[in-house]
Amino acid sequence: MTTASLSGAAVVGIGRTPYVRRSGRTALAMAAEAARAALADAGLMSGDVDGCSCYSTGGPASPMQVAHAIGVDDLGWCASVLGGGNAVASVVAGAAAAIVTGQAGVVVVYRVLGSETRYGKALGTIEAPGEAQFAAPHGYLVPPQWFAMWCRRHQAVYGSTAEDLGAIAVQERAHAARNPHAVARQPITIDDYLGGRWVFEPFRVFDCCYEVDGAVALVLTSAERAADLPHPPVFPLAVSDANGCGGSVDQWADMTAMYSRDAAPRLWAKVGLGPADMDLALMYDCFTYTVMATLEDFGFCQKGEVGDFFREGRATYGGDVVVNPHGGLLSEGYIHGLNHHYEAVLQLRGDAGDRQVAGAETALVTAGAGPYGGALVYATAPA
Amino acid sequence: MSDLADIPPQPLPDVDTEGFWQATAGGYLAMCRCRSCRQWLQPPLERCRICAAETAFEPVAGTGVIYSFIVVRQAAVPGYLHDLPYVVALVDLDEQPGLRLPGRVVDIDPGDVSVGMRVAAELVALPGGDHVVPVFRAVGVSRGPEGAMTS
Repeated sequence: MTTASLSGAAVVGIGRTPYVRRSGRTALAMAAEAARAALADAGLMSGDVDGCSCYSTGGPASPMQVAHAIGVDDLGWCASVLGGGNAVASVVAGAAAAIVTGQAGVVVVYRVLGSETRYGKALGTIEAPGEAQFAAPHGYLVPPQWFAMWCRRHQAVYGSTAEDLGAIAVQERAHAARNPHAVARQPITIDDYLGGRWVFEPFRVFDCCYEVDGAVALVLTSAERAADLPHPPVFPLAVSDANGCGGSVDQWADMTAMYSRDAAPRLWAKVGLGPADMDLALMYDCFTYTVMATLEDFGFCQKGEVGDFFREGRATYGGDVVVNPHGGLLSEGYIHGLNHHYEAVLQLRGDAGDRQVAGAETALVTAGAGPYGGALVYATAPA
Repeated sequence: MSDLADIPPQPLPDVDTEGFWQATAGGYLAMCRCRSCRQWLQPPLERCRICAAETAFEPVAGTGVIYSFIVVRQAAVPGYLHDLPYVVALVDLDEQPGLRLPGRVVDIDPGDVSVGMRVAAELVALPGGDHVVPVFRAVGVSRGPEGAMTS
């Protein structure tokens, strides 16, 4: 069996809540809203659903709770993956694999983030187990600190600059201006970026994603069944994860490259396509530097060239590939990367309105940062 | 503010890591090492990941080179909310390429810290408990990221 069989399944429905700073709602309520919206979009009913999966770092709203909350009485396939952005590609592909192998017929995949989950600070941390016991006592504990550390190494080795990071933030914000669902739509200039306050130097505030409350859900079913549903199906062609170094964000040998150094060549080989074949690149952007390192690793440009890649317009409409037309986690909002899948499907359906990438047929969607992550290629036609 | 906000996160050792903290409490820095193939292992493991032999904590010199560093300018972690800015570095210890420890770099202007700078560990008490942690201090001649002398 080859990985191409993933496209025996398709994404047929997408749903989401508003993205807001403070919803005042439970994670379960938001996840259920997104799941219902995705089912309605797919033209399916709760009685059609027999599979549900999510990923989380230990948050509330389990797949069985969410399925129950939307009226599913008999859930035959249920998977809850412990992970963050690194897990997205394998969770979506896992749902497709469950369908292709007959374990489930209709699967809802969701991610929800509520106000109780904020990754930028760790003010409640009292005891640090595991590898964190060596780092946390030094006031070094949260993801923006980790990836600022990685970014500094890239700057030292390749001479990448604050202006290069800023070019990414400015472009994504410009894209978000055409996305009514984005939380940050006010355009910024490079001077705005450089004038932004420091958080964890070399990161300024505009290098960090915009944490929000909200949920995204996808509905997948078989390609055969998809043919009878309202929207054109969007097919996952192939997926590749890479998980190195035991997940250690401190011991990774070369922080100028990420998991994508290993995942990218595997993915391109599986799918028989390359960066030049992508119309869209939904690059996981928990931080600007994540975009920088992974664009290099996926072969869109050479090491140290990402700043020019953005400044020369190669990452937007009319360029090489449109990177994060929704504004990404930086500007649309941080739904842990599942909103990248929503945008990919919307674009490949041709339903993205003012920000539609004309004639889009292929999309790379990445997820994760540092030592762990993965990526998936979607297309309008099955493999 | 509460007292808790003044206390930095405390290490929660387990049987694989307690040797590190016993060493620092005893006044020296030690890292996990394979008794057989002599590989240093961080984070510590009960058995070597290469040859599965037993491991033990052995003293290290505490000297090394800054692989990378950040300047923390936003309050994010208890114990450090009013102690800004501060510098945290990943230090590649001299004992083995890529054997890396995080730690604060102390008594230096953040603008004077650089990748490739040589540092040495010093043990200090961690407020809020009985643990002793290594911090780093700049020493001698620095080297650039590729090993070239820069200053």
